[in-house]
Formats: sequence, structure tokens, C-alpha cells
Amino acid sequence: MTDLFLVLGVAAITYGSRVALMTTRWTVPGGWIGRFLDVFPLALFIAIATSGLLAPDGTPAVTPGLAAAAGGVLGAVLFKRSLVGVLAIGAAAFYLTRYLVG
Amino acid sequence: MWSQTGKPILPGSTTDTNLPVYDAGLNNGSFRRGFRDSILIFFAVGTFGVAYGVLAIEIGFSAWLAVLSSVVIVSGAAQFAMVGLLGSGAGAFPVLAAATGLGLRHLPMAASLRRLIGPQPLGTRMRLAYVLVDETFGLTLRAADSDIEDLVAYKTAADALLVTGWILGTAVGVWFGASIDPQGIGIGVLFGLLFLGLAAPMIRNRRDWVVVVVTVVVTALAVVLLPSAWQVTGAAMVAALVGVFIDD
Repeated sequence: MTDLFLVLGVAAITYGSRVALMTTRWTVPGGWIGRFLDVFPLALFIAIATSGLLAPDGTPAVTPGLAAAAGGVLGAVLFKRSLVGVLAIGAAAFYLTRYLVG
Repeated sequence: MWSQTGKPILPGSTTDTNLPVYDAGLNNGSFRRGFRDSILIFFAVGTFGVAYGVLAIEIGFSAWLAVLSSVVIVSGAAQFAMVGLLGSGAGAFPVLAAATGLGLRHLPMAASLRRLIGPQPLGTRMRLAYVLVDETFGLTLRAADSDIEDLVAYKTAADALLVTGWILGTAVGVWFGASIDPQGIGIGVLFGLLFLGLAAPMIRNRRDWVVVVVTVVVTALAVVLLPSAWQVTGAAMVAALVGVFIDD
């Protein structure tokens, strides 16, 4: 039962954070807040990518994830920033490196 | 109540509101496009769902609670943090604190999404908020820069597919997890690549490149210095603040 309440608590916090600015009358102003909101998604996605590729186990390490990152960047360049191109070349680099170096 | 064309009904054509009304059915081109664009994410998220299901069972969740958590939370980051902390012996408070830290990033995401979709009925906004996740948010941002006419229908399709993949993946992990090794297929790396692919089209000018470099550096530091629940959010906040003061 404790776990159930914990799950519901996490759900309430998560949904609350998602719905708060979707349902209030607060509008996105211009100025620095608007610029922050413009650039935040890019920063967020790069942070998630960096975390997953640089430190897949929670600490920075030289792993095939770095090859995946390089492959992903190459895929972005070759395939005009296509999501599929990034995933395909990045995953290929990852699995190849992991196969070669163990 | 939905239109047949997928385009907003003009103000005045509804009985008691000037808000647009959308067709989210399969005859809506934007809905079909959202569905098609998110098929890859369906499989990626499903794979992570499998990993979550395996971990949830490992830390002692019952099968139904593991699946229920994916239904009501719909957040890989929050759910992985939850099972990770519980698995390490943490109590409820760190779990809720981690969920709060991870939830902070939803605030600017929600504000951005609301700006993109414009005035919408309360129910539509509440529904879109239910699946305000990084993956479909990224897809929607990309769609906003393309020829997609109906962002609400587009995101609705992407959300539906993502939630389905997440819940199905969790169920597979719960009931068949013993025979699956998500770490063995490099799930963390594939997750990183997914977001690299979502970020790539957003890089358009000098400011964006600076933000990318700053984010990578700050994230590397955050991974070393900050608790796991705050690493990504903290790094993104710092990098975005830097971006505020840089000209395009």
C-alpha cells in the first residue's frame, strides 16, 4: 500500500508540473523569459543525450557510447539532421565499437 | 466534437466558445503524420518500458503496480529515478524530491507547448499535458517548423502511440523480463541517440551552437557533482540561461 501511495504521489507531482502552465492564464512573455523558453528544449535534449552517451552508467567513462555520439553527429551531418540518420549511424557506430573493443 | 477537415472551426461557428475544435480521427492528415513520425519512438519507448518493467519487479513492485505506475506517471525519467532510489533503499521523500526535480523541466516545456498550440479548450490542454514528455514534445517542435497544419492532432497521435508503447513495454518487462537483458542491447546509449536526433534540427544559429557546447560541458560536470535526479534538469537550466544572453 505504501508503494501505491508513492506511485500516486509521483504521478501527482509529474502531472501537476505538466499541467500547471497549460491550464493557468499565465502567458509566455517576451524578453529574457521568452528567450529562455526558446532555447531550453535544445539544452534539455542535449543534456539528456550527453548524459546517456557520456555516462550511460551514471559516471563519465570512455565507452562505446562516445563512438555512438560521434556516429550520431556524423549521421546528422550526412542525413541533414534526420532522426533516423542519427539513430542509424549512431547505433551502427556503437555496436561496431562494442564488437571490436568488447 | 470534431470537425471533418482537421482544421480549426472558425470562431463563431461553435455555440459557446471561440476556441478551435479539432478532428483527431484517422481522416486528419496531421494525425496520420503524427502517428507515422512516432513509430520509431514507439519501439524505442517500448524498449525502455521493458527495462522499467524488469526493474520495477526487481525492486519488489507487484505486476499490477508496475503497470499502473506507467499508466498514471508516464515519465521514464521519474519512474526510473523512483525504482532506482527505492532499489538503493531510499525512502519516500527522496523519491518525491527527485520527481519534483525532474518535473521542473515540464514548466518551460508546457509554456512552450501552450504557445505553439494557441488557445485550446481546457480538456484539450489537460489531455496534452498528460503526455507532456520529451519525445513527443520534440516531435511537436519539429512539426511546428514543418508543414503540419494541426499540431493538436499531430501530438495526440504521437502521444497515443508513445503511451501505448510505454505501457505495453512495461507489461512485457513485468511478465517476460526474466528472458530479456535491456542493458545488453545498450539501451542507455540508444536513449541518448534518440535525443541527439531530436535536438539536431533545433540547431539553427550561433546561439544554438553555443548552447550545445555549454550543455555538454555542464552536463559532464553535473554528472560528477550533482545527485542523479538533478543532473539533466540542472545542466539544461544553466545552459539555457547562458543562451539567454547570447545573440542569434
